[in-house]
Amino acid sequence: MKKFSVLFFFVLGLVCVSNPVLAKTIKIGLICPLTGSWASEGQDMEKIVKLLAEQINTKGGLLGKKVEVIVEDDGGDPRTAALAAQRLSSQDIVGVIGTYGSSVTEATQNIFNESKIIQIANGSTAIRLTEKGLKYFFRTCPRDDEQGKVAAEYIMKSGFKRVAILHDNTTYARGLAEETKSLLQKKGLNIVFFDALTPGESDYSPILTNLKAKNPDVVFFTGYYPEAGLLLRQKMEMGWNVQFIGGDATNNPDLVKIAGKDAAKGFLFLSPPVPQDLDTKEAKDFLAAYKRKYNSLPGSVWAVLSGDGFLALTTAIKATKSTDPDVLANYLHNKLNLSGLTGQIAFDSKGDRVGALYRIYRVDAKGNFILQ
Amino acid sequence: MELFIQQLTNGLAIGSIYALIALGYTMVYGVMKLINFAHGDLFSIGAYLGLTFLISFGLVDKVGAPVAILIIMLMVMGLVGLIGILLERVAYRPLRKADRLAAVVSALGASIFFSNSLMLIYGAKFRVYPHNLLPKSYITILELHIPVVRILLLLVSFILMACLYLFVQKTKTGTAIRAAAIDQGAARLMGINVNKIISIVFFIGPALGGAAGIMVGLYYGQVNFLMGWLYGLKAFIAAVIGGIGNIPGAMLGGLILGVIESLGAAYISFAWKDAIAFFVLIVILIVRPTGILGERVAEKV
Repeated sequence: MKKFSVLFFFVLGLVCVSNPVLAKTIKIGLICPLTGSWASEGQDMEKIVKLLAEQINTKGGLLGKKVEVIVEDDGGDPRTAALAAQRLSSQDIVGVIGTYGSSVTEATQNIFNESKIIQIANGSTAIRLTEKGLKYFFRTCPRDDEQGKVAAEYIMKSGFKRVAILHDNTTYARGLAEETKSLLQKKGLNIVFFDALTPGESDYSPILTNLKAKNPDVVFFTGYYPEAGLLLRQKMEMGWNVQFIGGDATNNPDLVKIAGKDAAKGFLFLSPPVPQDLDTKEAKDFLAAYKRKYNSLPGSVWAVLSGDGFLALTTAIKATKSTDPDVLANYLHNKLNLSGLTGQIAFDSKGDRVGALYRIYRVDAKGNFILQ
Repeated sequence: MELFIQQLTNGLAIGSIYALIALGYTMVYGVMKLINFAHGDLFSIGAYLGLTFLISFGLVDKVGAPVAILIIMLMVMGLVGLIGILLERVAYRPLRKADRLAAVVSALGASIFFSNSLMLIYGAKFRVYPHNLLPKSYITILELHIPVVRILLLLVSFILMACLYLFVQKTKTGTAIRAAAIDQGAARLMGINVNKIISIVFFIGPALGGAAGIMVGLYYGQVNFLMGWLYGLKAFIAAVIGGIGNIPGAMLGGLILGVIESLGAAYISFAWKDAIAFFVLIVILIVRPTGILGERVAEKV
């Protein structure tokens, strides 16, 4: 009898695990950097997705079931991410949101695609991620070629002649740097400097010293905010006044904290608009709810884009009344038109978000990011 | 030429930090033949403790920035030193008779424990030291801009290193440390309390690491819970270059590594900076496995 009951529960367990229709909840995965150097982004992502899931559940859930968010930490590291993706794939999730860095997302893409799990990345802007023809891969962020175009246009329009480009050898930063470089060279601008720094260090004065010797009009740094903050600070300490422009990964309030207000003043960067700058009802409601629950505001737009990914997926589930990946992918590619946290969301046939998103921001004397 | 000298000063500044951290590796190795991989994280603990003291007691307003920084630095050194002693008691002493590999694994475990504790206590975000504590001015010599802070940084490192050197060479305890480094068994026969010596070594090394931590925090302004790893690695290379187990070697190795890095970055490529550092390590290991000052093998530490 005991043997029988063990067998019974075992079979029951198998049925529950393997059949989403019988499952009690709809499971949605979230893969994000909870540890590692991008931990602050990942922790915001977790807060945002959990908040949105809570909102859906208080309204009765999806298809009559509760939404359950299963979080895995990718550590901001491709190897950890691949393991996390495998763990998530075996947990019968409908889709997964995340992750942040392009090289990290790249390590998870095939794992999810082979398991027919919808993946909606939020911060991974490297071009090639959506050029692989993966049917179940989407992203709510724009692509680097889009950003490169905006950067090159802005640099030309502002009349800069001698351009220095600095990246940090990550998939994302290098891609953006090369894209911008080739666009500017086509237009005949002089690229006086093109090299990479090593992220995670605290002394960038050797690089700044060399940059200064090349005498550029403008420096375009395509890396992330911790390094950008230090570069600005050390640039000021050298007594060097040159315009710095940052890529969208510099869009984080910590940039000003690291650099100090004096050094950050006048810094320009490209970014999709943050919810604070959008006057749509969705953006305002979301910010109010976030503030009520966590008593702070989300740090950057990237974490908010994970919320948009979650909304896109749950909208698709609701509209199709299905958790079948093919049905959902079809809906997301062709029919989705959602008013999300960062504006209208629709995907093209590659899984890229449709529409121009980039804006130019300037840091003012108080350290606020002002939309230009 | 201007570029060369500017890069030289850049290299010396970061090199003096490497040297301070390298001293901790080298002292512990000298006495215990153990690479204390948690040393880099003791350095980050120093940086975080310094930040806590700076923003919580309001000392800066009461006694002025220079005195406050001095007091806080001494407090941090003491506390990090105590954590070092504790670390040795908990993680290394029980394994002293075990295989050497066991102690290395224990060290790596302690490193992960420390960095994650820092993340849980202080959060994963970058923390920022208060600005405007240090003078912002710079000296201009022949169109060279050298920030005053950088000169102070070098000065403080050299003072700390000189104190340590005198302590080890001239005092009775220093002699005991050197004796324990040469032969623990014989030292014990001569009436030296080796356990106490090891505790002292585990106090001084981390204390210097903690001092380096607060200096990095003050100078570069930004600390994060993972910073110890990279600094630890570089300092370890510096210790090996100079001859691990050898105190002047660690100082020399740190400065050499800093200068090689910044000159390599300037004249070859920034992206290759770390590759250059490791290349130097490999060359040293092939050509002179004992390190630059490693000939006095009999007198390690």
